[in-house]
Amino acid sequence: MMRTVFLILSLLLLPMPTLAGSAEGVWAQAQARQLWLHDQWLKLGHYKAGAWPGSWRSHADDARFFLAADGAVNPRAELQATLEALLAPADAGDDHAQCRFVARLAWLRTQLPLDAIAQPDCAAYREFRSGVRADRAVLVFPSYYLNSPSSMFGHTLLRLDAGEQGEGGEYLSFAVNFGALVDPSDNGLFYAFRGLTGGYPGQFEVDHYYKKIRDYNRDENRDIWEYRLNLTAEETERLIQHLWELKGINFAYYFFDENCSYRVLELLEVARPGVSLTEHFPLTAIPIDTIRAVQSAGMVTGRQFRPAQGTVLKAQLDALPADLHDDVQALSQDPQRLLAPPLAQQDAAMQAAAVATAYRYLRFTQTGTQRDPDAARRSLTLLRELRARASALPSDWGTPDAGIAPDLAHGSRRLSVGVGREDGVRHASLGFRMALHSLHENRDGFPFGAQINLGNLELRLEESAGLELDRLDLVDIVSLSPRDRFFTPLSWAVQTGVERQWVAGDVHRAAQVNGGVGATVALARGLRTYALATARVEHNHGFRDPLQPALGVRGGVLAAWGRLTLHGEAGVEQFANGRNRVRWQLRQNLTLARHHALQLSVDGHDQRLGERTALGLQYHLYY
Amino acid sequence: MKKFVAGAILLAASSSAFAEAPGGPNCGWGNMLFQGQSGIVPHFLASTTNGTSGNATFGMTSGTNGCSTSGKLTYGGKAMVSAMLDELTADVAVGEGDTLTAVAVAYGVAAEDRAAFAAMANQNFEVLFPSESVTADEVIASLEALMKADADLAKYVS
Repeated sequence: MMRTVFLILSLLLLPMPTLAGSAEGVWAQAQARQLWLHDQWLKLGHYKAGAWPGSWRSHADDARFFLAADGAVNPRAELQATLEALLAPADAGDDHAQCRFVARLAWLRTQLPLDAIAQPDCAAYREFRSGVRADRAVLVFPSYYLNSPSSMFGHTLLRLDAGEQGEGGEYLSFAVNFGALVDPSDNGLFYAFRGLTGGYPGQFEVDHYYKKIRDYNRDENRDIWEYRLNLTAEETERLIQHLWELKGINFAYYFFDENCSYRVLELLEVARPGVSLTEHFPLTAIPIDTIRAVQSAGMVTGRQFRPAQGTVLKAQLDALPADLHDDVQALSQDPQRLLAPPLAQQDAAMQAAAVATAYRYLRFTQTGTQRDPDAARRSLTLLRELRARASALPSDWGTPDAGIAPDLAHGSRRLSVGVGREDGVRHASLGFRMALHSLHENRDGFPFGAQINLGNLELRLEESAGLELDRLDLVDIVSLSPRDRFFTPLSWAVQTGVERQWVAGDVHRAAQVNGGVGATVALARGLRTYALATARVEHNHGFRDPLQPALGVRGGVLAAWGRLTLHGEAGVEQFANGRNRVRWQLRQNLTLARHHALQLSVDGHDQRLGERTALGLQYHLYY
Repeated sequence: MKKFVAGAILLAASSSAFAEAPGGPNCGWGNMLFQGQSGIVPHFLASTTNGTSGNATFGMTSGTNGCSTSGKLTYGGKAMVSAMLDELTADVAVGEGDTLTAVAVAYGVAAEDRAAFAAMANQNFEVLFPSESVTADEVIASLEALMKADADLAKYVS
């Protein structure tokens, strides 16, 4: 009772500087309103509700982010400690809480009477803030790159822009990137393990955007999609203030959930109070899905395509007659070729196009290599020739077609139901896939020839046997990049999981890991054929010695005509114990609508005991 | 025990590969381990994806500080020219492009003067890029000298 009276009194006395300016006074007001449970306070502290009702845990994994000893799990104590620290004498300079926790202070000022508090000189923050020229933000998605599985889900970061929109200053903008602090002495396996299990701390990095363009567009050859956000100048300011608070602060980094894209969502939640973005991602935060979440929150106003180096080269090659391709390649090696037929006979526009493409190709081949003085000399010669003819180039010559944006692709998760028949036994099939895309599925928004699947479970219900595990793919990646005289990628596949296998007439659930390397050739637009040499390790109780390695080959055809795609493949394997296995499969996919498809499948295998064929028809729902 | 030995050999092999590979701390671990663009291993382990690059910088102010010595080229412009010299050279040769525009923006060249800026750079390609070993600093110095000599553009470098 006394306490309530005191609270009411303190509220009445609010305008009085003596009490309002004291830590006790503002804390009393904060208590009266339970301000530590305010959504914005919880977001500024990166708090998430814990397992116990009323318990909290911050994602920030760093004592420096908290002023209270138990601040990481106690937003109330953290608020009290923050208020005390904010009101402390102002002689601490840059170490003062007002200088460290700029966003907290800015928000608390809107909630509590803090106008009269003594203000320290925050020189470090002032310098930082004056260096950041930004009043709006862009969400950036470096897209999937067909040949790089570590790009399999893309990535997201933020770009902070200044100046007039569309004036071309994006190279000078700042990029805000959340990434793991990787110990460079860790080897690849260790890296993968720690990345998945949260073994690396993650931190925010703020750096120039041109470095991201260089990293993604040039070095990794990935297209970049940029989604303009409608953050106001005030919201952008809040974001920058909070970034300052996060400088050097560690978060546990998890590849699947608490990753780059998740943290970007948290930043946007701080920037625009009241918006809920992270709640959609309790388990996994697939970057493209986080972009869709930001879109559905009404924060995206447009998208822009920034093509990769290789995408531009392909477009330039496509804009040239195919019979000049040999000469363009030769030209990149020897600029003198311009003086000889057939290039010498071309008009200025065609010559300019050939030189521009040859230069582009030469630089493409030099990416990631040590500087080669001879290549540099040839590059400069080609550019001199280009300059002499550049005015003859049509203005939009060789500009890549952006195609369908990745946010317009089918949903990442898939549910499937269907019916099938195998060895005369009918079954119903049921499937769930966590992510993301198979070779034969609706290719809109995905690179053709890429398959990136995680967590694919397929069950079947048979009249006699009940519910059975048909297969479980933990990881299933295929990359079929076609080779030609300009691009020479290897094709490859990696898969691991549990699947049904037949040994001596019996079905076994075999755990296996397999991979393959080979080449793909584009026979025509939308038609590819490939062959891979494969290796496999299988744990199968049907074998006398269950763990068996195998070597083999597999090859197939992938075709796409509008809504219809077809993928056929056959493979053979020889196990160390002498057994052979032959299998073939056909997948035909009919896209009904963006998130709906019908799949017809035929599977066969032969293990000496007679051929078996399975037929299936499935409906796929993507969401 | 056999498995452990195999693991240890793999560890040793990849750390020695790392030690020999060139590349700075910003190349990403994949590139450092396996230099080069082709092949499966570098792609499988490519670096900057999904935010798993080794990024220790919070370099908002470094760009400004780094280029404040170079005339009016502010907020990261000089470092940008250095990092994107390849692209800039090609843009100057054609007389248009993103990096050329970005340099104009960095100098504060007003929208109505951008075309003149691009044309000036294009016409002086040989002055800006006299040899294949020209450095970013030299390109910037030549560019500023050319701008000073240009009636419309002098005001941006004075």
